[in-house]
Amino acid sequence: MIELSVSRARSTLASLRLAVLMFLADPQWLIPSMIAPVIFGLVAFEIFRGSGPYFVVYAILGAGMMSMWGQTLYGSGWATGQDREFGTLEPTLQAPTPYLYVVLGRVIWNVLSGLIGGLIVYLVVILAYGRPPPLVDPWAFAGLFVFVVLTLAAVGVVFAAFYVYTRYAGFIQNVGEFAFYVGTGCMFPVVLLPFWTSPFSLFFPPTWALDALRYLAIPGYAGFSWGFGIDLLGAVGTTAVYLAVAGSVFQQVQRHVLESGDLQEY
Amino acid sequence: MNEAAIEAHGIGRVFESRKGFLMQERVRTVALDGVELSVRPGELFGLLGPNGAGKTTLTKILSTLLLPTRGQAKVLGVDVARNPELVRPRIGLVLGGERGLYNRVSARENLRYFADLFGIPVERREPRIVEVLARVGLTDSADRRVEEFSRGMKQKLHLARGILHWPQVLFLDEPTIGLDPRSARETRKLVRGLVSDGVTIFLTTHYMFEAEELCHRIAVLGHGKIIATDTVAALRQLVGGDRTFEVEGYGFEDAELAQLRRLPGVSKIVSEEFGPRLRLTLRVRTREIVPEDIRGVLLNHAELSVRERGTSLEDVYLDLVEEGT
Ligand SMILES: Nc1ncnc2c1ncn2[C@@H]1O[C@H](COP(=O)(O)OP(=O)(O)OP(=O)(O)O)[C@@H](O)[C@H]1O
Ligand SMILES: [Mg+2]
Repeated sequence: MIELSVSRARSTLASLRLAVLMFLADPQWLIPSMIAPVIFGLVAFEIFRGSGPYFVVYAILGAGMMSMWGQTLYGSGWATGQDREFGTLEPTLQAPTPYLYVVLGRVIWNVLSGLIGGLIVYLVVILAYGRPPPLVDPWAFAGLFVFVVLTLAAVGVVFAAFYVYTRYAGFIQNVGEFAFYVGTGCMFPVVLLPFWTSPFSLFFPPTWALDALRYLAIPGYAGFSWGFGIDLLGAVGTTAVYLAVAGSVFQQVQRHVLESGDLQEY
Repeated sequence: MNEAAIEAHGIGRVFESRKGFLMQERVRTVALDGVELSVRPGELFGLLGPNGAGKTTLTKILSTLLLPTRGQAKVLGVDVARNPELVRPRIGLVLGGERGLYNRVSARENLRYFADLFGIPVERREPRIVEVLARVGLTDSADRRVEEFSRGMKQKLHLARGILHWPQVLFLDEPTIGLDPRSARETRKLVRGLVSDGVTIFLTTHYMFEAEELCHRIAVLGHGKIIATDTVAALRQLVGGDRTFEVEGYGFEDAELAQLRRLPGVSKIVSEEFGPRLRLTLRVRTREIVPEDIRGVLLNHAELSVRERGTSLEDVYLDLVEEGT
């Protein structure tokens, strides 16, 4: 008898590979996902025009995050929704690999393609405005930026679970997406929002990470009153929580769908 | 090993769904209602039953895709609801149909993906894919996108995926649906081959000859319960014998029917309209009766036709399903 050895890393890679293949088979969807960043970039530029040089940085960060957010978060859930639609959710869940690792592979692909969206925003704003002023600390910024991407991925993983859970997830997320852009401070600093919204946004790692990132980009930035250090701690902490619960969230969700028996519905 | 390959005790499954305006109305469907069955290692076990009887539901429960609402099922000695992760690597599942595949990539890529998810040893992956593609007859289309596949080709790919990881138990839900006669025959050959390799197979089908040709034992499912389980030969006896006479004529009288019933070995007579004529179907247990005995009873009928045929699995099935209702 042949010994099977299920490996999480291998399953993640297989899922990443399939995501790339599916993209290459039908690359035209890149166009709509490129239009959004261009529009985000232009709108952000118009909103913040004339508010001093560093608001351009703000615009880039905000719009860039929005498009990356869309790609990473929405994309990961969407792929699971597609699994429902294709009818591939059943055979995939029937395989011995936990579905979490399949999602992880897709999240990695979405992060990579989301970065392209971020880059487009950057280029659009630069073309419209010219080079932004130098960052406060470019190296720390770069490092933290990678971490911000990780926070998005963490949320993306947990959100994908939602799509496994119910076929209505896409609908719910469509409605909720805009609230997210605002609520996590992608669009405006969270401190500008009504007080009651901040407790919610603090549940999302990107809120903390993005605020921390602004400290590194804008001299004299004052976001949350607690400052950079706590921001960073909050980001690391919330991300850790997301990653820690991802496994059990998926286990629960997988259990739930086996109970409800609507895996083939979409 | 004495242990059953598949075992189900009191399996029930209820679906709760909502329908109507704003999903206000709750609908409760009892799909399975206390299923008992046991499949031996190496056996080819067939499950028959009308549409909506619960065949797919049972298949999904046994293959860890659905939890029963009551009862217990074990596959290879492992509880499917409690330890699905131990069952999954050892079983294969073919649900078939147009869906369930990644249409935008090739057949080979579909198999690569699932080979990775199943943890097929890396060095064996490519040769194994070539092997299963050949086994289902898709070698020439291996690198075409699945969206270009006909329904039958998709069905073959489903099969290829089901057997990819050398499962010890294979669940096949209507494996030959949509296949042309030759491909269906090839598939049945493949199934027999798997059985001779020692694979236990659990198969559902609506094709009686397929079940008769392939299965060691057959269970008939009706309204969520197993009506009967046995070999085809034993099921024939169960429904009243392996000989069936078909008698066609006009206006048989009750007295004549009673007389036919008294013939030795006649276990059952069903009469139905057949165009302008009546058709009597006689189920017979013994070898003693010949067509002349029947003609002897129905002497004053002109244009009488009496034909003998073996009791087919279809007869058995229809009888059992009818009794079940
Ligand atoms: N996800 C579901 N939600 C609600 N009801 C369901 C669901 N799946 C199956 N059912 C119901 O359960 C019953 C059994 O369905 P199942 O698909 O198991 O039948 P089947 O024997 O496979 O039929 P067929 O021969 O048509 O394939 C049907 O009444 C069906 O409507
Ligand atoms: Mg079915």
